[in-house]
Parts: sequence; C-alpha cells; structure tokens
Amino acid sequence: MSENIIILMLTVSTFLGALGLIALLWGVKTGQFDDQSKFIDAARYDNEEDLKDAVMMEKKKKEREEKKRKDKEKKKNYMPAD
Amino acid sequence: MAEIACTHCNLKFDESVMITEEQNAKTLYFCCKGCQGVYHLLENEGLDTFYDKLGDTQLQPATQLTDDLHKFDLEGFKNKYIKVHDDGLYEINLIIEGIHCSACVWLNEKVLHKTEGVIEATINYTNNKAKVIWDPEEVKLSRIIETIRSIGYNAYPYDPTLQEERAVKTRKAYYSRILVGVFGTMNIMWIAIAQYAGYFTGMQQGFKDILNVAEFILATPVLFYSGWIFFRGAYYGFKNHIVNMDTLVASGAVSAYIYSIYAMVTQSGEVYFDSVVMIITFVLVGKYLEVLSKKNAVDTLDSIMGSTPTEVTILKEGIKSLIGIENVEVGDIIELKPGEKVVIDGVVTSGQGSFDESSLTGENEPVYKQKGDEILSGSICLDSVLHYKASKDASHSLLTSIVNLLEESITKKPHIEQLANTVSGYFSSIILIIALLTFTGWYLWHGSFETALIVGISVIVIACPCALGLATPMATLVGIGIAAKRGLLFKEAGFLETMAKSNLLALDKTGTITEGKPSVIKAKLYEGFDPALLLALVNTSNHPISKGIASYLREQNTSLESLPLEDIKSIEAKGIEAACQGKKLLGGNAALLKAFNIHIDEHSENSLFFFAIDNILVARFELTDTIREGAKEAIAKIKALGIKVVMLTGDHEKSASKVARAVGIEEVHTRLLPQEKSALINEFQTHGDIVVMVGDGINDTIALANANIAIAMGQGADVAINVSDVVLLDEKPQSIYEAYQISRRTFRAVKENLGFSLLYNVIAVPLAVMGFVNPLVAALSMSLSSLVVVGNSMRIKMLKFKNENI
Repeated sequence: MSENIIILMLTVSTFLGALGLIALLWGVKTGQFDDQSKFIDAARYDNEEDLKDAVMMEKKKKEREEKKRKDKEKKKNYMPAD
Repeated sequence: MAEIACTHCNLKFDESVMITEEQNAKTLYFCCKGCQGVYHLLENEGLDTFYDKLGDTQLQPATQLTDDLHKFDLEGFKNKYIKVHDDGLYEINLIIEGIHCSACVWLNEKVLHKTEGVIEATINYTNNKAKVIWDPEEVKLSRIIETIRSIGYNAYPYDPTLQEERAVKTRKAYYSRILVGVFGTMNIMWIAIAQYAGYFTGMQQGFKDILNVAEFILATPVLFYSGWIFFRGAYYGFKNHIVNMDTLVASGAVSAYIYSIYAMVTQSGEVYFDSVVMIITFVLVGKYLEVLSKKNAVDTLDSIMGSTPTEVTILKEGIKSLIGIENVEVGDIIELKPGEKVVIDGVVTSGQGSFDESSLTGENEPVYKQKGDEILSGSICLDSVLHYKASKDASHSLLTSIVNLLEESITKKPHIEQLANTVSGYFSSIILIIALLTFTGWYLWHGSFETALIVGISVIVIACPCALGLATPMATLVGIGIAAKRGLLFKEAGFLETMAKSNLLALDKTGTITEGKPSVIKAKLYEGFDPALLLALVNTSNHPISKGIASYLREQNTSLESLPLEDIKSIEAKGIEAACQGKKLLGGNAALLKAFNIHIDEHSENSLFFFAIDNILVARFELTDTIREGAKEAIAKIKALGIKVVMLTGDHEKSASKVARAVGIEEVHTRLLPQEKSALINEFQTHGDIVVMVGDGINDTIALANANIAIAMGQGADVAINVSDVVLLDEKPQSIYEAYQISRRTFRAVKENLGFSLLYNVIAVPLAVMGFVNPLVAALSMSLSSLVVVGNSMRIKMLKFKNENI
C-alpha cells in the first residue's frame, strides 16, 4: 500500500464527514433545531400543502421587496414640477 | 341521556344542551356559538384537515371575543412591544393561549400565513411563543390578533428581553462547539487505532507522519473552536486569581497539543492529539449538560405580567374614565367589574362581592368583602361590580412588589458551592505546581531543557482531568434519568447535589399536602332528598364547594339526568337559589339557610353545605380538603433521613394545625402572605439551613424562588412550575421522599467518582514525575479512568424503591 493511497483515503473520508458536519452546523445556526417538538412533529404533518405554504410565504416576501424597490425607483425618478 | 362531544372542541356535554346542525346528512354538535363559528370559519378556509390532526384532543371552547383590539394599535403599545426592522417591517413576540397540541400550532401558523401582509410567523411548539413579522402598510396588529382570536385562541404580547435571546444563543454556541468536538474526536480515534496498532507491530515513519498530520488537522479546530470556552474560563480565572477546572483543561490541552506538534515535526516520540480532543470534548459535554437545563427566568415574569390589566376605570366627580395604572393616585375611586383582576390595593367604598385570593393565600375558597374591607392586588373580583378607594399607587401595590421580589430572588438564588468545583480548584493548583517543580527539577538535574519540558508536560497530560470532569455530570445525568422515570423532573443537574445536602423541608398546605379541593366526608340525607335536583343546582356554580358536591353526587349516582332550572340567583358569599318544576331550591352555607329561617345544625369544624327544598332541609354535607394519599408515611420517612419538616400556609391556624397533626408535622407557620413565606425561608437560611420548599400556587412563588431547591406540583400554577427546580409530575408526597433518595444516592456516586479520580492521580502523577510515562500507559489509563467513572455512575440505577409495583 502506497502512502498516497492512505492520504487519499484520509482526505476523502474526512472531507465527506466534514460536509455532514457543515450541514449540521448550518442547521443549528439557522435555528432548525431550536424547537425539539416541532422538529419531531414536522415529520408528521409534512405534506405537499405545507410545501406550497412555504413557497407562498417566500413569494410574499419577494413581492414586498419588489414593491419596495419600485417605490424607491419612483422616488428617485421623481422630479418636482416647477 | 347520552353525552356527545362537541365537533370543534371535543368536550363532552349532554345532548339536550348542544347546538345541533344538519350538514350533508351528518349531524354536527356544538357546545357553544363560539365553537360553531370557528368550525365554519375553518371549513370555509379549507382548513378542516385540522380536525383530522386534532384526533381526540380536547380544546377549550372558543370564547366570545372581548373588545379591546384598539389597544394593540396604540402608540404606547408599539413602543413597548414592537420591534421595527430596518426595512420597515414590524416584529412582535406573542404568547398564544389555548394551545393544546401540535395540531393547534399547525392551525395558528396556517392561518397567520394566509393573512395578507404577514411576512413570517413561527410558533414554538414547546412554549407556545410566536414570532410574527408583518408589513404595517398592509395589515394592522389588531387585525392579526383578531385573526388568532377568530379561530378560538388568544394572544398577548410579551417582551423577549435580552436574557431569553442570550440563553438561546449560548445553547446554540455550545451545540455547534460540541458537534465540532465530537466530529474531531471520532475521526481522530479511528486514526489513533492505526497509531496504536503501529506502536505494537511497527510502522514506517512515513505512514506515521501521514497519520500524525491528519490528526493534527482534525485536532486544531477542536482545540481552538470547541475549547475556546475553556480558554475564556481560564482567562477570567487568571484575572480573578482563581485556579479552576478551566485552567487545568486549557493548560493540559494546550501543552499536550504543543508537545504533539513538537513530536510530529521532529519525528520523535508519540503524539497526544487524541488526548487533546478527548479532554476537550468530554469536559465540554459535561459543561453543556449543565447549560442545557439552565432555567429561563423570563418566562415566569411574562406570564404574571402578561395577564394583568394595564388600565383601570376610575370615577372622578361622577365621570368614569379609563386611565393607565401608573397614573392612578392614592385616594382615587376605582370601579371593579366581575372577572377583573385587582392591580391596585385599596379599601371598598361601596358594593360587596366575593374575591378569589388564591394567588395570595393559596386557598381556593372565595373571600367575601364589603364596605370598609381591604382588597389586595392580585385577587380577582368574582361576581359583582364594586367601587374602592386606592390606598396605594401601582408601584407600591402588593402585586407589583411581588413581581419585583420575584425578579430579584430569581437572579439572587442562593448558591451552594458544588463539591466538584471546590475539589477541581485545589486539584488544578496542585497539579500545575507539581508540573512546574518537575520541570525545574529535571532541568537542574538533567540539564536538558527539552527533556525537562517533555516530562513537565506529561505530568499535566497524565493528570488527565477527564475523569474529574466527568465525575459529576455523568453521575447526575444518570440520577436525573432515574428521577424522570419516576415522574420527578430535575431541571438542572446541580440541584441533585444541593438537594442531597439539604436539611430542612418546607411544605405548603393547600395543594401540596392536601388535594387542594374540598370533598365530601360526611353526608346526612333527610326525607325528600333528590340528588338530581341538587346536581342541577350545584352545576350552576363554579365555587369549589359546589364542585366538590357535584363530584360526590356523580360518584354516588352514576346516571343522573340534568334538570332545567329557572330563576337562578347566586347570593353573594352564601349560596344559590333556583326554581325547578315549581319547587324552590336553596343550596349554600349556614348563613343562607338562616336567612330563610330554616333551623340547622351548624356545629362542625369542616365546611358545611346545606340543601333545602321548599324551605325544608333535606341534606347536610360536611366537606374538607382531603390529605393526599401517603403524605403521612412520606413525611415520616423524610424525617427519618434527619430532615426537619415545617409547614407554611396562608390558611388560618385551625385548619392548618389539623392537617399538620394528621401528617405529623410539629412546626407550623400560618396566615402567611407570599412575601412573608419567602422571608421565613430566608430566615431559615440565615440559620445555616439548606431549604427545600414544596409548593403549587402563585402564592408560593417567591418562597420557591428563594429556597435552595424549589419543588412544584405538576398541576400547580405555571409560574410556580417555572421558578421551581424540580417538578413532581405525579404529585405524590412519596415522590418527595424519592427525590431525597435519588439525590443522596447520586451525590454519593459523585463523591466516589471524585475520590477515584484523585486516587488515580496519586498513583499516575508520581510515575509521570519520574519520567516513566509512555503513550501506551497514558492512553490506557486515560480511557480506564473514564470508564471506571462511567461504570460507577451506572450503579445508581440499582437504587431500589419501596412500594415498587413492577
């Protein structure tokens, strides 16, 4: 067995593990594990409808941002009549 | 007649009183208009899958809405509770009332999501707190609250003070650090196995180098990220001239790390990266177990303050006006309506009525007040409108001072120095001094700086704080687990030790030693008694005595039809009068019957209830608050452990001493207001006693917060449960005794563990000082010592309880 194979094995396996770790850390950071009971119950109620719901909320947020942006542009282009 | 469940709330009622409705050849039953309204609303919105999710869970019937929505849009309200985001969005934190199960949470979130202008809405399943973010240009807060109310729940705002946010943040930080630590440790362990195998069978230096570098790469983030907490602790300790556990862990880990790098670079000797990560991760997990269960004081105060009114109606020169409580002056006349909570102390000037003082005295029986009587804030006016003169302003009233006291005592809870902390303090200093002496000794004797350094470091490494760090958390974790299985929830690991050291037990009377509700102990029935009539009569009242009679009747006669009553009149503080099928019914205390000139025997030390039909006495009941089963035996056993037992109660001497005699308590303190209870606890503490307090009501809360260990009954007031350290889910007095047993056994295991890890060091450290340590000895002894600690802690599980039914 050559040294290179050992290096390769170590790097690949540690890297894969690190990916999992990073995903977990991201989950902790975004508050996905804050509420234990919700974490468990979410599996019970998870269905297509909830996905749609989440999409709807995202859309709402986007629409609002869009509106804000337009409002700002309007203000920018506003010229006082003289 | 059959009982039928309401389609919305699942509560069971008699068929005759339900609102029925035909829909798609199916009959729907509703207990009230509110439930009916909510059902149709959900159906129209397409949210009726809620009922599938709900299953058999019972909800509170949807209440009729009160009209106070405008207050949510006031400027003052906004300043107090609403957080304005940079992009113009508003954020508020709400406590949602009436949530029973996860289906309720689902429904609330769904409805909020559907509301126009709501950008984000999340509800925590565990504490029913919601965070709502909305666009103020599209929707008003009052509309959001109205939406929540329209589906049968209620919401009130709270102030998520920094403390709560900080607690969550700490937990998250620990969690991330542990994840990194565990990841590093697990991976280094399997690399280390190759190292150990190579140590025995021989390994080329090239392979060894690769493994060393891999371990180095994995150990570095663990030491500096996960171990950061120890560096910080060691730094603060250094600043305050204290040597603590953190100092030892940090110095041990760093020196082992530096030595390992040196060994790796010079290709001489063995590396200790596995020890570095093991020390950090194990001790960090132990620390996390302590942080995890740190109580959240904020929750407590939220629920008290959230339910108190912010405004009162005052009368000035005949004109009624609503003003904020902070603007009320001494001497103002305040109007009190039925169901209102008193926020300002005062003296009644006109009117009369019953008051629920359970949050002050713990007694469920209403107190009758009339002109000239003093009313205290915190009590609730039950049945009538009356006027009273403010004798204090809001900030000096009893309720506010209780809240202030509570706030103070939560932050100033007496702290008992934990054994492990004391031991590790001395231990760390001694090891560090020995290491330093070893280094100088070897340097002087051997002359080589390098050898001296390596031996010095090996002393710290071999004195592995692993076993010491695990000694307490491991044992307490097992102890908490056993306690939880027996219905005892210890909120923090450290409480087991404090409880084991305690020598005084203070018990509340009502709801703790006793059941907290009156039940019939003696019934005398005369000719003409009809249980159905009496049941119908007592069902019209919410008075605890009426409830006691009702449950007694149901026990005696299983099938009782409910009869329609007419002209129901409740006579303040006396009883109820009604008519049924042309008969006049009277039910109440002695005073009521005397008023109707009925001759009765009113000689008894218990509460009496009389029932008369057409002015002829037909039944006489004696009621008393019964003592919980097994209270006497449990108290006797606790006394046998050498613990002094006292009783603290808001009740009067007569009934208190009766209960005390029955259960065998000698020392009784009666007629105590909440703050007096806590003053007594403080007095015990100044005499050097470590006090365990058991209570259930709001009136016990300050005393609970002040006691070294507070135990609350599982059915008690939320506030009491929040401030308490231990919760008794099954409410059995026997459990208090078991709590003592478990905590004492656990503390013994902690002492054994500490003793063992010290003994281990007494043997290992001299070897290290003499320079006899090789990696095999280090690794083996490290793992072995930790294993012994874990194994010894597991022995707690063999603790036997009496009355075991399994």
